[in-house]
Amino acid sequence: MRKILGVILFVLFAAGLGFAQPQVEVKEWTVPFLNCLTGPIAAIGEYLEWGAERAAFEINAAGGIKGKPVKVVGVDTAMDPQKGSVEMAKLVENTLVALGPVPEPVIMAAMPIAVESGMMSFTATTSYEYAVKYFPWTVSWFPPTELRLGVLVAAWAKQFSDIKTVIQFVEPYGPWPGMADAHVKGLTGMGVKVLDKVEVPSDAVTFGPLAVKALDAKPDGIVFVCNAEKIAKIIKELKNRGWSKMDHMLVFSSGDAPELYTTGGADVNGVQVYNYINPFVDNPRWNAFKAAFEKDHNGMAPFSLSPNYYDALYMIKEAIEKTGVTGDPKKLKEERKKIADYCANVKGFKGIQFNWDMKDGVPTNKPTYIFTIENGAKKLTMEVR
Amino acid sequence: MPLPLYYFLSIAAVNILMSWALYLPYRVTNLHFIVVANMAISGYTAAYLVMTLHVPFGVALLAGFLLGGLIGYVVSLFIGDAPTFAVVIVGFTFIYITRTVIENLPIIGGTLGLFGLPSIGGSPAAHRWIIIAILYALVLLVGFLIHRFDHSRLGRAASAVFVDKDLAASLGVDIKKLGMVLQTFSCTIAGGCGVLYGFIFKSFHLDFFGFALVGIFMTVIFVGGYATQWGTVLLAPILYGVPLLFPSWLQTWRIVIYGALLILVLVLKPEGFVTRRRVHSIETFLSGKRKIRNIQ
Amino acid sequence: MQVFIAQVINGLSVGSIYVLLVTGFNLLLLAAMIIHFSYPQVVVFSMYIAWLVLKFTGANILLGVAAAIGSSILLNLLSAPLFQKVMQKRGEVDINATMVMSMGMGMIITDILSHTFNKGLPIAYPASLAGSRPLARFGLISIGTGQVWSLAVGIVAVSAFFLLLYKTRPGRAFRAIAEDPNGARLVGIPILSTGLQSYALSGLLGGIIAVLLAMLLGSASPGLGEQVAHKVLAVSIIAGLGNLAGGLVVGLLLGILEAIVQGYVSGSWSNAIAFVIMLVVILVKPKGLFGTKV
Repeated sequence: MRKILGVILFVLFAAGLGFAQPQVEVKEWTVPFLNCLTGPIAAIGEYLEWGAERAAFEINAAGGIKGKPVKVVGVDTAMDPQKGSVEMAKLVENTLVALGPVPEPVIMAAMPIAVESGMMSFTATTSYEYAVKYFPWTVSWFPPTELRLGVLVAAWAKQFSDIKTVIQFVEPYGPWPGMADAHVKGLTGMGVKVLDKVEVPSDAVTFGPLAVKALDAKPDGIVFVCNAEKIAKIIKELKNRGWSKMDHMLVFSSGDAPELYTTGGADVNGVQVYNYINPFVDNPRWNAFKAAFEKDHNGMAPFSLSPNYYDALYMIKEAIEKTGVTGDPKKLKEERKKIADYCANVKGFKGIQFNWDMKDGVPTNKPTYIFTIENGAKKLTMEVR
Repeated sequence: MPLPLYYFLSIAAVNILMSWALYLPYRVTNLHFIVVANMAISGYTAAYLVMTLHVPFGVALLAGFLLGGLIGYVVSLFIGDAPTFAVVIVGFTFIYITRTVIENLPIIGGTLGLFGLPSIGGSPAAHRWIIIAILYALVLLVGFLIHRFDHSRLGRAASAVFVDKDLAASLGVDIKKLGMVLQTFSCTIAGGCGVLYGFIFKSFHLDFFGFALVGIFMTVIFVGGYATQWGTVLLAPILYGVPLLFPSWLQTWRIVIYGALLILVLVLKPEGFVTRRRVHSIETFLSGKRKIRNIQ
Repeated sequence: MQVFIAQVINGLSVGSIYVLLVTGFNLLLLAAMIIHFSYPQVVVFSMYIAWLVLKFTGANILLGVAAAIGSSILLNLLSAPLFQKVMQKRGEVDINATMVMSMGMGMIITDILSHTFNKGLPIAYPASLAGSRPLARFGLISIGTGQVWSLAVGIVAVSAFFLLLYKTRPGRAFRAIAEDPNGARLVGIPILSTGLQSYALSGLLGGIIAVLLAMLLGSASPGLGEQVAHKVLAVSIIAGLGNLAGGLVVGLLLGILEAIVQGYVSGSWSNAIAFVIMLVVILVKPKGLFGTKV
């Protein structure tokens, strides 16, 4: 009896040792993506996830990261800060690097956890104002709002010598008021007078009063800093009241979403929009990305933020390969730091559309573009650097 | 303490406390949604005190409680005995006003939110233990107070008001005073919870305090049981925790499941899972067992 | 002056949305004694069904309208037994039980819409229904087809349902069942069929409202119902629960108030100011400006 007990104990001990020994060699790189897969922006979440999974597909087809496949695992936060924080808390136990969270309320609830644990999580769709708070445990995908947007909006206004006054429709959400302020700086810098903004309530369903208020101020140009669907409806109201200079309207980047086109229809033809992604770039990677997106989404052109997490995953790949990260759980802390340090100051990163550098977590030399909408699609008007 | 456990326990505690904050005025049929606005007001105020004026956390927390109580008291002067609808509208009004004010105040972050609240106790680990300790001390304290209230004359008076306001008034119950007491206490709890909620995340964002929270707390009360405090204790952690264990395809339908559960419970068990009778039989059973032990 | 008139017309347009929804809300209250907080979500669901049918039938308006009405009636009839079960043991309007239950329904509808139709993105109606140009335009004043129809139908609906409920036998039967089912049974009113008729009638109105909203707004999103639900409840309470005429007046006034605040004060404060004014009114007159009818 004692012998049997002894054998059992020995086996248990050996098994325990086996379980206690962490595996040194990683078989697969798992990258969780804290995303909104359900809830009000689930469609956007799907586009972002698609971008990351497309990158994973390409990376694996080319042999993976250091010979091992990479897998993107969607973790739904349902746009709920409570859920987002618990999911992030689960991840930081043993995850090397993550993508997300999306959107801002979840970032604010969950990123402090990543920061505290020293784990990098790429918030590749939020503005600089959010990302900078969590540096170096995230990097910003966008340059500082103040520096970039003023130049961009000024370039738009410069096209039209008759634009002397501009009015903005601004929705109070996240960084949008700050973006509107950046527009003001750029426009006033070139001598354009910016009239008092028209605030767009988040739960507005009709926009006639706002359109009348704006037109009563007799602006020469209009800039929209609100949700895409609202922009389309406001444009219709403006047109119904006689506005005809469509190219004297500019939509900001976050308004460049499918709803602008589906809700706006022919009414948004001629309107200009600025964004960071140029669908007309011609390179094999982008062409393949675009074709695959259109195939999977019934011919729809790639959503402008889809390439962000595509690029983010490639940046992770590069960081792992260039810094000698092994994925050894025993070295988790130091390897997380290696990835963060690398990405903060990566030079000549080959994004899907252009190469850029990061300086202390802020991208430099990223282009921006102004497009004109024609029949539901964008036509490149100018590049602004 | 493992991080997931910390977030689960802390948020579950907030959900319990806030559901109790809604439970108390509901004892006299008032759906007092203003508690969500109280969370935001006290939370942002405390965050401002700590970050900008460098007030110690304890003082800021106390200020949060007091501010919540003050708002609750002032408002209750007008709606202490108001019809249910008026109380609902007051709640909505405060939520809208609070959101609008916060959006337009850059000193508390405006639409961006407030980042980087400091750790209490000097380190993240100490911060977590302190938050958990405060939260569960509050759960015990508030739970005790509510238990004493429910088993007191005031509690019986509240039950009478719930059943028939006019009859209760004719029996000498001062409905307005009772309503004021309950509303003030509930807003006090909410104020403190708002502070702690923000310090759990170490940041504040407008969308932390929206109508979604109203839905969560109402589900907890009505499914758990609105007639006693115990349904909340049971259901708040379950409602929050169980979906975290769902497979991802089922998590997609989490809100639909909540809504269906709410409807099913209202139809099949209108008093909720934990009814007064059930609690009474458990209490009787326990006291019966104690008697037998004493005899032995 | 032109601006002021334009804003008043805009306000009537917004107000007509509230009037339509409050009328449906009050109808259910009067005919079935339930507070259907999520009636706007039911209407939005019907809007989505109409959109789906329009999409697959090449924008066949008749079929789209039929689909909206049919789906609204169906949803109402399906929810009828649930509400009736909850209402069985009450002596008067039980705001809490029915309101909470309808909130549960609203959560389900909103979530289903954001998961399924059009991947949760907003939907847009064809120009043949929504209209692309205004009927009339004078400077900043613009009057669209949807605005005219919504306001007209809103007024007609209020008048028609008032007459139905207070001046006809079927209407009296609806109200009798709602107020006292046992008494209604005693006097020979068939409970089941009459009760179902009242829900169907509310569904009919809901379907019509869905079509009108599609014409007026031109688009819909999963959150549209939630966006207006609070105001619809507030309008009903300010006017007086169940007061059809009061709902008409207060709904239009609220719409005008919102338009004036957005036009002259501030868009982001419009909700807060509107609710504060409603709050003051309700504190001064808790039974509503025009008195309750339940």
